[in-house]
Amino acid sequence: MLVFPLLQPKNDSPKGGDLLLEKLEEPGNPAESNLELAYSVEVAKASSDEYVRLQQRIFRAALIVSVLAVTVSALFFELQVSISLLVGALSGVLYLRILSRSIGKLGQNSKSVSKIQLLIPVILVLAATKLSQIDLLPALLGFLLYKPSLIFQFLLESRLKA
Amino acid sequence: MDSITTAASVVAAGLAVGLGAIGPGIGQGSAAQGAVEGIARQPEAEGKIRGTLLLSFAFMESLTIYGLVVALVLLFANPFAG
Repeated sequence: MLVFPLLQPKNDSPKGGDLLLEKLEEPGNPAESNLELAYSVEVAKASSDEYVRLQQRIFRAALIVSVLAVTVSALFFELQVSISLLVGALSGVLYLRILSRSIGKLGQNSKSVSKIQLLIPVILVLAATKLSQIDLLPALLGFLLYKPSLIFQFLLESRLKA
Repeated sequence: MDSITTAASVVAAGLAVGLGAIGPGIGQGSAAQGAVEGIARQPEAEGKIRGTLLLSFAFMESLTIYGLVVALVLLFANPFAG
């Protein structure tokens, strides 16, 4: 008995339902839809340009930090240490480049981020252990020189949002 | 290098890579899922989402790299080898 009123079919449709159906059945204005499409393409292009600019800022900052670190190490340490630092820094920038490219392809060409960039530190450590010209510790420190630029960029973005 | 040190180094290298990749792997998967959903919902914010994803991936993947480096050092430049 209590459930019975709930089971009764309700014929009163919600207000605005018919209006929505009518709107859907109306043939769309092709000029308007073309304008919307062009606007969305423009917005997507501007957004991807923003990502490219962010990448360029990060790479520029990483290169500046690397050059500074290599210069300071060349002044205070041996040449082999600064060469190892330079090799590590270049491999760090290359790692970041491959990572950013695979993130740029995410959703368009691939469903997941590739892991091929992890080969860079592996090759770096293997080269440092096999080649006598490269020291392991400076090469690893050089590889991690991309981090200050990332932290700086992260702080800059959070400050801009606040 | 004696056999016990070699065996312990190989086991430790495997544990370093394996355990070090679990957390970042889960985190990267959920971050990528959220980013793709966000881009699908708001295509106009694609650049910001990708930028944030790049920063978070770089920070997360560094944990994997630390484990990888420890494993490679244990295997190829073991400081405990006599």
